[in-house]
Amino acid sequence: MDVGFILTNAIVLACIYGTLAIGLSITWSSVGLINLGYGFIFALSGYGAWLASQYISTNGVVVLTAGVLTGALGGLLVCALAFIPIHDKPNFTVRGLIATLAISLIGTQALLYVFGPRSKNLPDIFGFWKINLAGIVLTSDKIGNVVVSIVVVTAVLLWMRSSRRGLEIRAMMMNPHAASIVGIGVRKTGFYVMAITGGLAGLAAVLLSQTYYISPFGGLAPMIKGVSIALCGGLGSVRGAVIAAIILGLNEALTARLLGGQYVLITQFILIILILLVRPRGIAGILDRAREA
Amino acid sequence: MSAPVAAQPAAPAERREILKVKGLSAGYGPMRVIHDLDLSVYSGERVGIVGLNGHGKSTLFYAIAGLTGWQRGSILLNGVEVGRTRSQGPGRYTHLVVRQGLALIPQGDEIFHGLTVEEHLDSGAFTPRAWKERKERKEKILKIFPPLVKLLKTPVGRLSGGERRMVSIGRGLMADASLFLVDEPSLGLAPKIGKGVMEALFDVELGQSAMIIAEQNVALLEGRVDRVIGMHVGKLKGEASASLSFQTRREL
Repeated sequence: MDVGFILTNAIVLACIYGTLAIGLSITWSSVGLINLGYGFIFALSGYGAWLASQYISTNGVVVLTAGVLTGALGGLLVCALAFIPIHDKPNFTVRGLIATLAISLIGTQALLYVFGPRSKNLPDIFGFWKINLAGIVLTSDKIGNVVVSIVVVTAVLLWMRSSRRGLEIRAMMMNPHAASIVGIGVRKTGFYVMAITGGLAGLAAVLLSQTYYISPFGGLAPMIKGVSIALCGGLGSVRGAVIAAIILGLNEALTARLLGGQYVLITQFILIILILLVRPRGIAGILDRAREA
Repeated sequence: MSAPVAAQPAAPAERREILKVKGLSAGYGPMRVIHDLDLSVYSGERVGIVGLNGHGKSTLFYAIAGLTGWQRGSILLNGVEVGRTRSQGPGRYTHLVVRQGLALIPQGDEIFHGLTVEEHLDSGAFTPRAWKERKERKEKILKIFPPLVKLLKTPVGRLSGGERRMVSIGRGLMADASLFLVDEPSLGLAPKIGKGVMEALFDVELGQSAMIIAEQNVALLEGRVDRVIGMHVGKLKGEASASLSFQTRREL
């Protein structure tokens, strides 16, 4: 019973944080931007979904779509402000970091100004039911979270594997210089990447809002966890991010159960430091099939 | 008036000017690598550029593709101006130049090490027309480089140097291009393999397109290209049809 509860919690958290980490990881490896504005996109799409539930419909599909679309818009905004003007100037990594941090700060303050400090909650988009599976009680939001995040992330990854745009993005992830030589427009692809990863952030925001409330600063902790999972998995590797998300989700659920919720970040970072001490390039160092050039 | 025209059978009427470079200077930061360079290449022509390391062969190619740190001067590709005066932003407009009909096969291995050979060849055909015809084009490439047939599903990161070069050149030939720039195709390869790669390049049917090959080793080009041009400290020096290259005005 207890084990089942911890396990299901761990899997739910792993799915949500994994979605964020994969988004951050794709952003970093394809456009070379550590997107600190991700927390802002996360909060923004939470509010987008909330507005949709207030003014359009409380239907789960509508709310989820609104969140994803707002996230994609937020991604485009970050791309237009922090990627396009400076991506080919010297020192882009640091400048991009600062620019996205600025977007994050300005954006969250703007959200605070517009929507006020009171946190909002979204309707239960997955309904209200539960099943009892061999003594483990699975509530609707847990099942919905896991299914939706796995389906969407798998769809995104399959799309990246099979389509022409996906080939462009993967080519840019591996060698941006050669990508421009074969005729891939770095700026256009940047917009695609940021819209997709923004959409992933929006998805994670709506899914997490089934557990937590939406607030202007609510994106900060998920973003830190997403960044640390992406780092732990090896920046740029999707499989590494998935494995790291499972490990860290398990750790979070176990710590919350055994020690108490206030110790979660402590054990999280101890674990990350240990992993990076053993494998400085992250977990994906094990999985890297290609020979170094 | 008609007599001198008839006396030049090598220059039929449809000989188009594919590339016309005028007054091109380019470099990186404070360094100026190419000085006021002029160059014309016509359709159906295979041109060799010969010069030592660091004299600007690669930079000339990069400048045509818009990949240098800065550049100025006019570059007409198929009659369209692609050379902008830039002070920054290397690679920002490269994809537009590529769409205009350029295929750059860069020095060394500019490859995507995680993609398979097949995806690699696909990635060479990003222009809309080439993408539709990519199946036939792939078959053509595999006929030129038969060793690649068995490797289609292998990630390029696992290939040997010679195989990588084949992939890299194959990727360039996949494009629907009118100008092929090949930068030191034999670099770093065993002489026999390097020679095979060069042979493959000489055997490519150009049709209405043109090809420029940069090489350090004149012997590899001798007799197989239409013209050989020397390059020395950022300028083109001397020119000869390849068959005469021993008796020509080489000012090196």
